[in-house]
Amino acid sequence: MTFLIQQTLIYAVPLMIVALAGVFAERSGIINLALEGIMIFGAFIGVLFVNLVQQAGVFSAAKDANDWVALQGFMILAMAVSALMGAVFSLLLSFAAVNLRADQTIGGTALNLLAPALVLFLIRIIANQNALQMAEGDAASWFMIKKSFFGYGRSDSMGFFGDTFIDKTYLATYICILLFVILSILLYKTRFGLRLRSCGENPQASDSLGINVYKMRYAGTTISGALAGMGGFVYALTTANCAATGDVAGFGFLALAVMIFGNWNPLNIAGASLLFGLFKCIAASYSSIDINGDGVFLLAEAGISPHLYRMLPYLITLIVLAFTSKKSRAPKAEGIPYDKGQR
Amino acid sequence: MLYNETDPRAVSAHSDQSGDFRCNYVKGRSITLKKFKKITALLLALALCLGLAACSGGGSTTSTPTPDAGTEASAAPSDTGSTEGTETNTETTNPDDIPDSMTSSDGKYQVAFVTDVGQLKDKSFNQGTFDGVKLYANANGLSYKYYQPANGSEATDDDRYDAMKAAVDGGAEVVVCAGYLQEAALKRAASEFPDIPFIFIDGYPISDDAGNVLTNVAGISFKEEQAGYFAGYAAVKDGFTKLGFSGGGGGTNDACCRFGYGYVQGANAAAAELGTTVDMNYSWQYGASFSASAELQTMISGWYANGTEIVFACGGSMFQSISAAASANSGYVIGVDVDQSSESDSVITSAMKELASAVQWAVGHVYDDTFDEIGGVGTSLGVADDAVGLPTADESWRFETFTVEEYEELYQQVLDGTLVVDNDFSKLETTEWSNVNLNII
Repeated sequence: MTFLIQQTLIYAVPLMIVALAGVFAERSGIINLALEGIMIFGAFIGVLFVNLVQQAGVFSAAKDANDWVALQGFMILAMAVSALMGAVFSLLLSFAAVNLRADQTIGGTALNLLAPALVLFLIRIIANQNALQMAEGDAASWFMIKKSFFGYGRSDSMGFFGDTFIDKTYLATYICILLFVILSILLYKTRFGLRLRSCGENPQASDSLGINVYKMRYAGTTISGALAGMGGFVYALTTANCAATGDVAGFGFLALAVMIFGNWNPLNIAGASLLFGLFKCIAASYSSIDINGDGVFLLAEAGISPHLYRMLPYLITLIVLAFTSKKSRAPKAEGIPYDKGQR
Repeated sequence: MLYNETDPRAVSAHSDQSGDFRCNYVKGRSITLKKFKKITALLLALALCLGLAACSGGGSTTSTPTPDAGTEASAAPSDTGSTEGTETNTETTNPDDIPDSMTSSDGKYQVAFVTDVGQLKDKSFNQGTFDGVKLYANANGLSYKYYQPANGSEATDDDRYDAMKAAVDGGAEVVVCAGYLQEAALKRAASEFPDIPFIFIDGYPISDDAGNVLTNVAGISFKEEQAGYFAGYAAVKDGFTKLGFSGGGGGTNDACCRFGYGYVQGANAAAAELGTTVDMNYSWQYGASFSASAELQTMISGWYANGTEIVFACGGSMFQSISAAASANSGYVIGVDVDQSSESDSVITSAMKELASAVQWAVGHVYDDTFDEIGGVGTSLGVADDAVGLPTADESWRFETFTVEEYEELYQQVLDGTLVVDNDFSKLETTEWSNVNLNII
């Protein structure tokens, strides 16, 4: 059970935060198809930052002294840097979509094509190969929270709660969840959020009330870029041993699907990404899942082909979409460049 | 009409005739837009500069100043300062100190290396082979270059052939090709360039379409089952009772199959000696392209979470996912191909093949004019050639109870033939293992 919850969170959290990134852009009226590209770019920047800082030896002393608090700070710094550069990268989209009034789908696709190419090109220059890794050690030994930090021995138990939510987790996971909650509140319970959402529904009306639609759309897309960049790094950190390869296994597109699946609503998105993460986790580890701890591996013994398990996440998404897509309602003005003169 | 001046939008909507107003409005907007464009362009340029600066910063640490290949290629890398010390001492040269890319003065690269799928710096198969190329070239003042077939792990035979052709066009006197996947491309390239010797690592002799053996291809393979045997035996003797094997190539790579088969034999033999029974998960899943993936990491995490103590990571970049899972779950890993103990504290030992020395040995034949001895035939290197084994240096030997002496005794048995490790891996699934519960996933 502990294993299942932890692994589900590892898959679900990057999806959740990137889907929220999509919501911010679309609620402000910009279709951000570039989520995948921004994730790739953010992952690259975060890993590059970790790599360079490690080479500079800034945190080596902290690592040798097992000062895990400092290392968590290092990780948060890397998240912040990737968020920042993700935001900068997304400016390309905002500029094309807001100022040049370009077709947003095309602009986003262009970024999706640009990011992996650019990132691979840079990785080739920096590392002479197709993957940029940490300069030393692995992600788990540098950034993972372990029970030994709190004085527990190898065989001691922290209790169900501790074992599941503290031992062998990444702080990044909880920062993302916290940000998810805070930003959802920002979007739905504050003046700024209301204005932002209004720009995605009826920008002419918002403008007539004195809201600067351009600024709002820039704000929405920039927040979106920051979240996607950070999500990309979190993905690389938790599932790829902190390596950037110019690829995030389609998580950006999955996040778009989750966003639509969740009807542009944070609560639904959280549910959808958890559901997807759960099945993704089952697909990869069905043979070692022991749900109630009685030593019976039900899924492995059911004799079902592993291919079916691997299809499950996508099958479930299709089925749920088939039932819910009728009710799905996109922001009304998304994808339409705002033209002040238009009525 | 006063409001018209303050709200041009109202005008444009109001009457189509008020062209003047609209013109003003558009002009005003285009001015602010221009300004904005400028600022944005500036910002983007800044970001680009910053990005490039960061990259060149990172790059300078990996690339060393170009050595003057023609004259002083054997000099130590220039970051050590003066280039006068030109002792050609292969024993003490660390391959990591030799730059991966060098520029030759005449634009020709004598020793060429064509990589297998996966990364050049996979800290395993490709890197180990390339280390041999670098060491030989460095020690003998030759120029060298690596060629990565296009399209990464999706590389086709055409991509590989293109890489080989590029190598020959680049002036290669010998082409080292790593990995059995190169067979088809190698056949084409070797037929086309009969004067160029090709060294086929993890390979075998190749015949052309007419059925004639290509004498310019030397097939070098290893007795991986022996290395796998040592690893499995040592792990069980050291007290591990729940083992795992995660192999690359989806079960179609002979080298990985031999490693795995030997590993099971070794574990079985050790368990029989100890009178115990050990469990083993044996899987080819998520390893088809030898690359790291989130799914592989999850699967192996699942193994560790259910009590598996040690996993044999048998395949290039897969090591990344497996060691990440091990590190997260305080488990252990057995490395492959080269001594991977420096990669992670979780690596307890590595089933090695001496790729670097085999490459140097084979390339040496080319330059000694004795290539006919190995060209056109397959050479299988094993314990007798000192080509497989476990690393025994203090920092690599992390077993607690299994000692180097016990290992050397076992090694001797294989060497003098009293212990024969079977290499027919098709028998893996049909054999009744007396002391291993084999769980093939």
